[in-house]
Amino acid sequence: MKKVLKPLIAVIVLALIPWVGITYGKLDYLFAIVIPYAAAAILVLGMLFRLVDWIRRPVPFNIPTTCGQEQSLDWIKTNPLECPSNPFMAAMRVLSEVFLFRSLFRNTRAELYGGPKLVYGSYKWLWLGGLAFHWSMLIIVIRHARFFLDTLPLPIELLETADRFLDVTVPAFYITDAIALAAITFLVLRRLSDEKMRILSLSTDYFPLFLFGAIAVIGISMRYVTKVNVMPVKALAITLAHFGFDAPEPIGVLFYIHLFLVCVLLAYIPFSKLVHMGGIFLSPTRNLPNNSRAKRHKNPWNPDIKFRTYAEYEDEFREKMKKAGLPVEKQ
Amino acid sequence: MNKFSQFLVALAAGLSVFVAAWFFIHAGHRGSVPAHAEVSPAVAAATVKPGGAPVDSAKCILPTDYMRAHHMQVLDKWRKDSVRKGNRTFVNPEGAHFDKSLNTCLGCHGSNPMFCFMCHEYANVKPTCWNCHLSPMEVSQ
Repeated sequence: MKKVLKPLIAVIVLALIPWVGITYGKLDYLFAIVIPYAAAAILVLGMLFRLVDWIRRPVPFNIPTTCGQEQSLDWIKTNPLECPSNPFMAAMRVLSEVFLFRSLFRNTRAELYGGPKLVYGSYKWLWLGGLAFHWSMLIIVIRHARFFLDTLPLPIELLETADRFLDVTVPAFYITDAIALAAITFLVLRRLSDEKMRILSLSTDYFPLFLFGAIAVIGISMRYVTKVNVMPVKALAITLAHFGFDAPEPIGVLFYIHLFLVCVLLAYIPFSKLVHMGGIFLSPTRNLPNNSRAKRHKNPWNPDIKFRTYAEYEDEFREKMKKAGLPVEKQ
Repeated sequence: MNKFSQFLVALAAGLSVFVAAWFFIHAGHRGSVPAHAEVSPAVAAATVKPGGAPVDSAKCILPTDYMRAHHMQVLDKWRKDSVRKGNRTFVNPEGAHFDKSLNTCLGCHGSNPMFCFMCHEYANVKPTCWNCHLSPMEVSQ
Protein backbone atom coordinates (compact mmCIF):
# COMPACT_ATOMS: atom_id res chain seq x y z
CA MET A 1 0.00 0.00 0.00
CA LYS A 2 2.89 2.30 0.77
CA LYS A 3 4.11 1.81 -2.78
CA VAL A 4 0.81 3.20 -4.08
CA LEU A 5 0.16 5.93 -1.54
CA LYS A 6 3.61 7.49 -1.70
CA PRO A 7 3.47 8.39 -5.41
CA LEU A 8 -0.18 9.40 -5.06
CA ILE A 9 0.67 11.82 -2.28
CA ALA A 10 3.69 13.00 -4.28
CA VAL A 11 1.47 13.89 -7.23
CA ILE A 12 -1.04 15.67 -4.98
CA VAL A 13 1.73 17.67 -3.32
CA LEU A 14 3.21 18.52 -6.72
CA ALA A 15 -0.22 19.72 -7.84
CA LEU A 16 -0.56 21.88 -4.74
CA ILE A 17 2.80 23.63 -5.31
CA PRO A 18 1.65 25.82 -8.23
CA TRP A 19 -1.73 26.33 -6.56
CA VAL A 20 -0.06 27.81 -3.50
CA GLY A 21 2.52 29.64 -5.58
CA ILE A 22 -0.03 31.30 -7.86
CA THR A 23 -2.76 31.97 -5.31
CA TYR A 24 -0.63 33.22 -2.45
CA GLY A 25 2.79 33.94 -3.92
CA LYS A 26 1.86 35.57 -7.26
CA LEU A 27 4.66 33.56 -8.82
CA ASP A 28 3.09 33.59 -12.30
CA TYR A 29 6.39 34.34 -13.99
CA LEU A 30 8.18 31.49 -12.24
CA PHE A 31 5.57 28.91 -13.15
CA ALA A 32 4.85 30.21 -16.66
CA ILE A 33 8.34 31.01 -17.94
CA VAL A 34 11.17 29.89 -15.67
CA ILE A 35 10.04 26.39 -14.77
CA PRO A 36 8.96 25.36 -18.32
CA TYR A 37 12.32 26.43 -19.75
CA ALA A 38 14.17 24.71 -16.92
CA ALA A 39 12.16 21.53 -17.45
CA ALA A 40 12.74 21.60 -21.20
CA ALA A 41 16.46 22.12 -20.62
CA ILE A 42 16.59 19.22 -18.16
CA LEU A 43 14.72 17.03 -20.65
CA VAL A 44 16.96 17.86 -23.61
CA LEU A 45 20.26 17.74 -21.73
CA GLY A 46 19.23 14.69 -19.72
CA MET A 47 18.14 12.77 -22.80
CA LEU A 48 21.30 13.81 -24.66
CA PHE A 49 23.43 12.68 -21.75
CA ARG A 50 21.59 9.36 -21.54
CA LEU A 51 21.62 8.67 -25.27
CA VAL A 52 25.24 9.72 -25.82
CA ASP A 53 26.22 7.57 -22.87
CA TRP A 54 24.39 4.59 -24.32
CA ILE A 55 25.66 5.15 -27.85
CA ARG A 56 29.25 5.23 -26.58
CA ARG A 57 28.87 1.93 -24.74
CA PRO A 58 30.66 -0.84 -26.64
CA VAL A 59 28.63 -3.80 -27.82
CA PRO A 60 31.02 -6.74 -27.33
CA PHE A 61 28.78 -9.43 -28.74
CA ASN A 62 26.18 -9.74 -31.45
CA ILE A 63 23.23 -10.43 -29.19
CA PRO A 64 19.91 -9.87 -31.00
CA THR A 65 16.93 -11.67 -29.53
CA THR A 66 15.33 -13.80 -32.17
CA CYS A 67 12.12 -15.72 -32.42
CA GLY A 68 12.12 -16.88 -36.01
CA GLN A 69 14.16 -18.83 -38.51
CA GLU A 70 17.48 -17.23 -39.23
CA GLN A 71 18.60 -16.68 -42.79
CA SER A 72 20.23 -19.92 -43.84
CA LEU A 73 20.22 -22.08 -46.94
CA ASP A 74 18.07 -20.88 -49.81
CA TRP A 75 15.50 -23.63 -49.43
CA ILE A 76 14.88 -22.94 -45.74
CA LYS A 77 12.15 -20.39 -45.26
CA THR A 78 13.43 -17.46 -43.23
CA ASN A 79 11.55 -15.05 -41.04
CA PRO A 80 13.21 -11.73 -41.81
CA LEU A 81 11.23 -9.68 -39.30
CA GLU A 82 11.65 -11.97 -36.30
CA CYS A 83 15.24 -12.75 -37.17
CA PRO A 84 16.53 -9.85 -39.24
CA SER A 85 19.63 -10.60 -41.26
CA ASN A 86 20.35 -7.07 -42.43
CA PRO A 87 20.23 -3.63 -40.81
CA PHE A 88 17.14 -2.63 -42.76
CA MET A 89 15.03 -5.47 -41.42
CA ALA A 90 16.47 -4.84 -37.95
CA ALA A 91 15.30 -1.25 -38.25
CA MET A 92 11.89 -2.49 -39.38
CA ARG A 93 11.76 -4.70 -36.31
CA VAL A 94 12.62 -1.79 -34.02
CA LEU A 95 9.98 0.39 -35.68
CA SER A 96 7.33 -2.29 -35.46
CA GLU A 97 8.16 -2.57 -31.78
CA VAL A 98 7.95 1.20 -31.36
CA PHE A 99 4.69 1.62 -33.24
CA LEU A 100 2.89 -1.67 -32.53
CA PHE A 101 4.52 -3.09 -29.37
CA ARG A 102 5.01 -6.50 -30.96
CA SER A 103 6.84 -7.96 -27.97
CA LEU A 104 3.89 -7.09 -25.72
CA PHE A 105 1.65 -8.96 -28.12
CA ARG A 106 3.40 -12.11 -26.92
CA ASN A 107 2.72 -11.21 -23.31
CA THR A 108 1.69 -14.17 -21.20
CA ARG A 109 0.41 -14.46 -17.70
CA ALA A 110 1.01 -17.21 -15.17
CA GLU A 111 -1.88 -18.29 -13.02
CA LEU A 112 -2.62 -21.04 -10.54
CA TYR A 113 -5.68 -22.14 -12.43
CA GLY A 114 -7.79 -24.17 -10.03
CA GLY A 115 -5.08 -26.26 -8.48
CA PRO A 116 -1.39 -26.68 -7.97
CA LYS A 117 -0.70 -26.51 -11.67
CA LEU A 118 0.77 -23.26 -12.92
CA VAL A 119 -0.86 -22.30 -16.20
CA TYR A 120 0.52 -19.81 -18.68
CA GLY A 121 -1.96 -18.06 -20.92
CA SER A 122 -1.90 -15.35 -23.51
CA TYR A 123 -2.75 -11.98 -22.04
CA LYS A 124 -3.23 -9.33 -24.67
CA TRP A 125 -4.88 -6.72 -22.47
CA LEU A 126 -1.56 -5.17 -21.52
CA TRP A 127 -0.70 -4.87 -25.20
CA LEU A 128 -4.05 -3.26 -25.97
CA GLY A 129 -3.98 -0.97 -22.94
CA GLY A 130 -0.38 0.10 -23.57
CA LEU A 131 -1.04 0.71 -27.23
CA ALA A 132 -4.18 2.73 -26.47
CA PHE A 133 -2.34 4.76 -23.84
CA HIS A 134 0.76 5.54 -25.91
CA TRP A 135 -1.09 6.36 -29.11
CA SER A 136 -3.72 8.54 -27.50
CA MET A 137 -0.98 10.35 -25.54
CA LEU A 138 0.96 10.92 -28.77
CA ILE A 139 -2.13 12.30 -30.49
CA ILE A 140 -2.93 14.50 -27.50
CA VAL A 141 0.62 15.90 -27.50
CA ILE A 142 0.47 16.53 -31.25
CA ARG A 143 -2.91 18.20 -30.83
CA HIS A 144 -1.35 20.68 -28.43
CA ALA A 145 0.48 22.12 -31.43
CA ARG A 146 -2.58 24.30 -31.91
CA PHE A 147 -1.33 26.35 -28.96
CA PHE A 148 2.28 26.55 -30.03
CA LEU A 149 1.90 27.25 -33.76
CA ASP A 150 0.37 30.31 -35.39
CA THR A 151 -1.25 28.27 -38.16
CA LEU A 152 -1.81 24.56 -37.96
CA PRO A 153 -0.19 22.39 -40.63
CA LEU A 154 -2.71 20.31 -42.56
CA PRO A 155 -1.74 16.90 -41.13
CA ILE A 156 -2.26 18.09 -37.56
CA GLU A 157 -5.55 19.70 -38.53
CA LEU A 158 -6.71 16.45 -40.11
CA LEU A 159 -5.67 14.53 -37.02
CA GLU A 160 -7.62 16.91 -34.82
CA THR A 161 -10.67 16.70 -37.08
CA ALA A 162 -10.53 12.91 -36.97
CA ASP A 163 -10.19 13.01 -33.19
CA ARG A 164 -13.33 15.14 -32.77
CA PHE A 165 -15.36 13.53 -35.50
CA LEU A 166 -18.03 12.24 -33.09
CA ASP A 167 -19.07 15.90 -32.93
CA VAL A 168 -20.71 15.65 -29.53
CA THR A 169 -20.54 18.26 -26.76
CA VAL A 170 -19.24 21.81 -27.00
CA PRO A 171 -16.24 22.19 -27.01
CA ALA A 172 -16.00 19.18 -29.31
CA PHE A 173 -15.29 15.93 -27.49
CA TYR A 174 -11.96 14.33 -28.36
CA ILE A 175 -11.99 10.53 -28.56
CA THR A 176 -8.38 10.29 -27.41
CA ASP A 177 -9.25 12.05 -24.14
CA ALA A 178 -11.57 9.21 -23.20
CA ILE A 179 -9.20 6.52 -24.48
CA ALA A 180 -6.27 7.96 -22.55
CA LEU A 181 -8.28 8.11 -19.32
CA ALA A 182 -9.61 4.59 -19.77
CA ALA A 183 -6.15 3.24 -20.60
CA ILE A 184 -4.52 4.90 -17.58
CA THR A 185 -7.26 3.51 -15.35
CA PHE A 186 -6.69 0.05 -16.78
CA LEU A 187 -2.91 0.27 -16.39
CA VAL A 188 -3.29 1.25 -12.73
CA LEU A 189 -5.90 -1.42 -12.05
CA ARG A 190 -3.77 -4.03 -13.80
CA ARG A 191 -1.04 -3.46 -11.25
CA LEU A 192 -3.45 -3.34 -8.33
CA SER A 193 -5.76 -6.25 -9.19
CA ASP A 194 -3.19 -9.05 -9.27
CA GLU A 195 -1.13 -10.22 -6.28
CA LYS A 196 1.94 -10.92 -8.37
CA MET A 197 1.74 -7.53 -10.03
CA ARG A 198 1.34 -5.85 -6.66
CA ILE A 199 4.59 -7.41 -5.48
CA LEU A 200 6.43 -6.55 -8.68
CA SER A 201 5.20 -2.98 -8.93
CA LEU A 202 7.30 -0.25 -7.42
CA SER A 203 6.34 3.26 -6.49
CA THR A 204 8.25 4.40 -9.59
CA ASP A 205 5.75 2.38 -11.63
CA TYR A 206 2.77 4.11 -10.09
CA PHE A 207 4.19 7.62 -10.05
CA PRO A 208 4.26 8.19 -13.83
CA LEU A 209 0.78 6.68 -14.14
CA PHE A 210 -0.61 8.99 -11.47
CA LEU A 211 1.24 11.92 -13.00
CA PHE A 212 -0.16 11.20 -16.46
CA GLY A 213 -3.58 10.68 -14.92
CA ALA A 214 -3.48 14.01 -13.09
CA ILE A 215 -2.28 15.85 -16.19
CA ALA A 216 -5.00 14.27 -18.32
CA VAL A 217 -7.78 14.86 -15.81
CA ILE A 218 -6.82 18.51 -15.32
CA GLY A 219 -6.44 19.05 -19.06
CA ILE A 220 -9.81 17.48 -19.78
CA SER A 221 -11.40 19.43 -16.97
CA MET A 222 -10.00 22.68 -18.37
CA ARG A 223 -11.47 21.88 -21.74
CA TYR A 224 -14.94 20.76 -20.74
CA VAL A 225 -15.76 21.76 -17.18
CA THR A 226 -13.79 24.35 -15.23
CA LYS A 227 -12.90 26.37 -18.22
CA VAL A 228 -9.92 28.64 -18.60
CA ASN A 229 -9.72 31.62 -20.92
CA VAL A 230 -7.66 30.25 -23.77
CA MET A 231 -6.32 33.55 -25.14
CA PRO A 232 -3.55 34.14 -22.55
CA VAL A 233 -2.77 30.40 -22.69
CA LYS A 234 -2.17 30.66 -26.41
CA ALA A 235 -0.12 33.82 -25.92
CA LEU A 236 2.03 32.07 -23.34
CA ALA A 237 2.48 29.02 -25.56
CA ILE A 238 3.53 31.22 -28.48
CA THR A 239 5.95 33.04 -26.19
CA LEU A 240 7.47 29.75 -25.07
CA ALA A 241 7.64 28.45 -28.64
CA HIS A 242 9.52 31.58 -29.71
CA PHE A 243 11.83 31.39 -26.68
CA GLY A 244 10.44 34.66 -25.40
CA PHE A 245 10.49 35.86 -21.83
CA ASP A 246 7.39 38.10 -21.70
CA ALA A 247 5.34 37.80 -18.53
CA PRO A 248 1.97 36.15 -19.21
CA GLU A 249 -1.44 37.68 -18.63
CA PRO A 250 -3.37 36.22 -15.71
CA ILE A 251 -4.48 32.62 -16.34
CA GLY A 252 -6.57 30.34 -14.14
CA VAL A 253 -4.62 28.42 -11.51
CA LEU A 254 -5.77 25.11 -12.96
CA PHE A 255 -3.74 25.82 -16.07
CA TYR A 256 -0.64 26.36 -13.96
CA ILE A 257 -1.18 23.04 -12.20
CA HIS A 258 -1.45 21.36 -15.61
CA LEU A 259 1.67 23.11 -16.86
CA PHE A 260 3.66 22.42 -13.71
CA LEU A 261 2.82 18.72 -13.75
CA VAL A 262 3.84 18.57 -17.41
CA CYS A 263 7.13 20.27 -16.47
CA VAL A 264 7.65 17.73 -13.70
CA LEU A 265 6.99 14.96 -16.21
CA LEU A 266 9.44 16.40 -18.75
CA ALA A 267 12.16 16.78 -16.14
CA TYR A 268 11.40 13.31 -14.77
CA ILE A 269 11.70 11.51 -18.11
CA PRO A 270 15.53 11.26 -18.38
CA PHE A 271 15.89 9.90 -14.85
CA SER A 272 13.17 7.29 -14.79
CA LYS A 273 11.70 4.32 -16.60
CA LEU A 274 10.17 6.80 -19.03
CA VAL A 275 13.56 7.10 -20.71
CA HIS A 276 12.57 3.94 -22.57
CA MET A 277 11.29 6.32 -25.25
CA GLY A 278 14.92 6.82 -26.26
CA GLY A 279 16.42 3.62 -24.99
CA ILE A 280 14.29 1.34 -27.15
CA PHE A 281 16.24 2.49 -30.19
CA LEU A 282 19.58 1.68 -28.59
CA SER A 283 18.83 -1.77 -27.24
CA PRO A 284 21.43 -4.12 -28.77
CA THR A 285 19.13 -7.11 -28.37
CA ARG A 286 16.78 -5.43 -30.77
CA ASN A 287 18.69 -3.13 -33.10
CA LEU A 288 21.39 -5.55 -34.23
CA PRO A 289 20.85 -7.77 -37.27
CA ASN A 290 21.32 -11.45 -36.58
CA ASN A 291 24.14 -11.95 -39.10
CA SER A 292 26.90 -13.26 -36.86
CA ARG A 293 27.54 -16.19 -39.23
CA ALA A 294 27.81 -14.03 -42.32
CA LYS A 295 29.73 -11.13 -40.80
CA ARG A 296 32.33 -11.05 -38.09
CA HIS A 297 31.22 -8.94 -35.15
CA LYS A 298 34.31 -7.20 -33.84
CA ASN A 299 34.49 -6.79 -30.11
CA PRO A 300 35.50 -3.19 -29.42
CA TRP A 301 37.01 -4.38 -26.15
CA ASN A 302 39.59 -6.46 -27.97
CA PRO A 303 42.99 -5.03 -27.01
CA ASP A 304 45.18 -3.70 -29.79
CA ILE A 305 47.69 -6.57 -29.87
CA LYS A 306 51.12 -5.87 -31.39
CA PHE A 307 51.98 -8.84 -33.58
CA ARG A 308 55.57 -9.66 -34.45
CA THR A 309 56.14 -11.77 -37.53
CA TYR A 310 58.94 -14.26 -37.93
CA ALA A 311 60.41 -12.13 -40.71
CA GLU A 312 60.77 -9.23 -38.29
CA TYR A 313 62.34 -11.56 -35.71
CA GLU A 314 64.79 -12.89 -38.22
CA ASP A 315 65.66 -9.36 -39.40
CA GLU A 316 66.69 -8.50 -35.87
CA PHE A 317 68.69 -11.62 -35.08
CA ARG A 318 69.95 -12.70 -38.52
CA GLU A 319 73.61 -12.07 -37.89
CA LYS A 320 73.53 -13.80 -34.51
CA MET A 321 71.64 -16.75 -35.98
CA LYS A 322 74.16 -17.09 -38.77
CA LYS A 323 77.01 -17.05 -36.25
CA ALA A 324 75.32 -19.73 -34.20
CA GLY A 325 74.81 -21.78 -37.32
CA LEU A 326 71.03 -21.60 -37.30
CA PRO A 327 69.23 -21.75 -40.64
CA VAL A 328 67.79 -18.44 -41.87
CA GLU A 329 65.18 -17.93 -44.56
CA LYS A 330 66.66 -14.77 -46.01
CA GLN A 331 70.36 -14.45 -46.50
CA MET B 1 -9.56 -14.46 -9.11
CA ASN B 2 -10.14 -16.42 -12.28
CA LYS B 3 -9.86 -15.13 -15.78
CA PHE B 4 -13.53 -14.48 -16.37
CA SER B 5 -14.05 -12.43 -13.24
CA GLN B 6 -10.92 -10.50 -14.08
CA PHE B 7 -12.35 -9.78 -17.49
CA LEU B 8 -15.57 -8.62 -15.84
CA VAL B 9 -13.64 -6.34 -13.52
CA ALA B 10 -11.72 -4.87 -16.45
CA LEU B 11 -14.98 -4.37 -18.35
CA ALA B 12 -16.68 -2.76 -15.36
CA ALA B 13 -13.68 -0.51 -14.79
CA GLY B 14 -13.63 0.56 -18.41
CA LEU B 15 -17.37 1.18 -18.43
CA SER B 16 -17.25 3.13 -15.20
CA VAL B 17 -14.54 5.33 -16.64
CA PHE B 18 -16.62 6.03 -19.72
CA VAL B 19 -19.72 6.72 -17.66
CA ALA B 20 -17.71 8.97 -15.38
CA ALA B 21 -16.21 10.74 -18.37
CA TRP B 22 -19.70 11.17 -19.81
CA PHE B 23 -21.04 12.79 -16.65
CA PHE B 24 -17.86 14.75 -16.37
CA ILE B 25 -18.36 16.17 -19.82
CA HIS B 26 -22.03 16.82 -19.41
CA ALA B 27 -21.52 18.42 -16.05
CA GLY B 28 -19.88 21.20 -18.02
CA HIS B 29 -23.14 22.19 -19.64
CA ARG B 30 -24.66 23.13 -16.35
CA GLY B 31 -21.95 25.71 -16.20
CA SER B 32 -23.64 27.71 -18.93
CA VAL B 33 -25.88 29.21 -16.25
CA PRO B 34 -23.93 30.05 -13.10
CA ALA B 35 -24.65 27.77 -10.20
CA HIS B 36 -25.99 30.48 -7.94
CA ALA B 37 -28.56 31.39 -10.57
CA GLU B 38 -29.88 27.85 -10.51
CA VAL B 39 -30.20 27.55 -6.76
CA SER B 40 -31.95 30.87 -6.34
CA PRO B 41 -35.68 29.97 -6.48
CA ALA B 42 -36.81 33.36 -7.73
CA VAL B 43 -34.51 33.25 -10.71
CA ALA B 44 -35.31 29.60 -11.33
CA ALA B 45 -39.02 30.43 -11.45
CA ALA B 46 -38.33 33.27 -13.83
CA THR B 47 -36.41 30.90 -16.09
CA VAL B 48 -39.30 28.47 -16.19
CA LYS B 49 -41.92 31.15 -16.78
CA PRO B 50 -40.67 33.57 -19.42
CA GLY B 51 -41.13 37.01 -18.02
CA GLY B 52 -41.65 39.49 -20.79
CA ALA B 53 -39.86 40.50 -23.90
CA PRO B 54 -36.13 40.08 -24.34
CA VAL B 55 -34.23 43.07 -23.18
CA ASP B 56 -32.03 44.86 -25.63
CA SER B 57 -29.27 45.42 -23.16
CA ALA B 58 -26.08 47.33 -23.51
CA LYS B 59 -24.57 45.02 -20.92
CA CYS B 60 -23.45 41.48 -21.59
CA ILE B 61 -25.55 38.64 -20.19
CA LEU B 62 -22.77 37.50 -17.85
CA PRO B 63 -19.40 38.88 -16.71
CA THR B 64 -16.75 39.22 -19.40
CA ASP B 65 -14.31 36.81 -17.77
CA TYR B 66 -16.98 34.15 -17.56
CA MET B 67 -18.07 34.74 -21.15
CA ARG B 68 -14.52 34.53 -22.49
CA ALA B 69 -14.09 31.04 -21.08
CA HIS B 70 -17.65 29.70 -21.29
CA HIS B 71 -19.43 31.40 -24.22
CA MET B 72 -19.44 28.20 -26.27
CA GLN B 73 -21.20 26.31 -23.52
CA VAL B 74 -23.72 29.11 -23.03
CA LEU B 75 -24.52 29.07 -26.73
CA ASP B 76 -24.74 25.28 -26.78
CA LYS B 77 -27.15 25.32 -23.84
CA TRP B 78 -29.17 28.08 -25.47
CA ARG B 79 -29.48 26.06 -28.65
CA LYS B 80 -30.71 23.01 -26.76
CA ASP B 81 -33.12 25.05 -24.64
CA SER B 82 -34.60 27.10 -27.44
CA VAL B 83 -34.67 24.57 -30.25
CA ARG B 84 -35.47 21.39 -28.35
CA LYS B 85 -37.33 22.61 -25.27
CA GLY B 86 -38.88 25.81 -26.56
CA ASN B 87 -37.49 27.77 -23.64
CA ARG B 88 -36.28 30.93 -25.30
CA THR B 89 -35.72 33.28 -22.38
CA PHE B 90 -32.52 33.50 -20.40
CA VAL B 91 -32.49 35.27 -17.05
CA ASN B 92 -29.11 36.28 -15.76
CA PRO B 93 -28.23 36.52 -12.04
CA GLU B 94 -29.12 40.21 -12.03
CA GLY B 95 -32.60 39.32 -13.24
CA ALA B 96 -32.27 40.75 -16.74
CA HIS B 97 -34.07 38.85 -19.50
CA PHE B 98 -32.49 37.87 -22.80
CA ASP B 99 -33.65 36.04 -25.88
CA LYS B 100 -31.76 32.76 -26.18
CA SER B 101 -30.54 33.49 -29.66
CA LEU B 102 -27.26 34.10 -31.38
CA ASN B 103 -28.78 37.40 -32.46
CA THR B 104 -28.79 38.54 -28.83
CA CYS B 105 -24.99 38.30 -28.90
CA LEU B 106 -24.62 39.70 -32.36
CA GLY B 107 -26.82 42.66 -31.38
CA CYS B 108 -23.71 44.13 -29.81
CA HIS B 109 -20.88 41.94 -31.03
CA GLY B 110 -21.99 41.84 -34.66
CA SER B 111 -20.81 45.41 -35.16
CA ASN B 112 -17.29 44.10 -35.57
CA PRO B 113 -17.34 41.52 -38.37
CA MET B 114 -14.12 40.03 -37.02
CA PHE B 115 -15.35 39.77 -33.42
CA CYS B 116 -15.70 35.97 -33.46
CA PHE B 117 -12.88 35.26 -35.82
CA MET B 118 -10.06 37.17 -34.19
CA CYS B 119 -9.84 34.84 -31.23
CA HIS B 120 -10.92 31.67 -33.00
CA GLU B 121 -8.28 32.12 -35.66
CA TYR B 122 -5.66 32.94 -33.05
CA ALA B 123 -6.47 29.90 -30.93
CA ASN B 124 -6.96 27.59 -33.93
CA VAL B 125 -10.55 26.88 -32.95
CA LYS B 126 -13.06 25.85 -35.59
CA PRO B 127 -16.56 26.30 -34.17
CA THR B 128 -19.45 24.75 -36.07
CA CYS B 129 -21.75 27.77 -35.60
CA TRP B 130 -21.34 29.00 -39.15
CA ASN B 131 -22.29 25.66 -40.68
CA CYS B 132 -25.90 26.85 -40.23
CA HIS B 133 -25.79 30.46 -39.05
CA LEU B 134 -24.72 33.45 -41.05
CA SER B 135 -21.48 34.65 -39.56
CA PRO B 136 -20.93 38.33 -38.82
CA MET B 137 -18.46 38.37 -41.69
CA GLU B 138 -21.15 37.29 -44.15
CA VAL B 139 -23.84 39.71 -42.96
CA SER B 140 -23.72 42.95 -44.85
CA GLN B 141 -23.04 45.70 -42.35
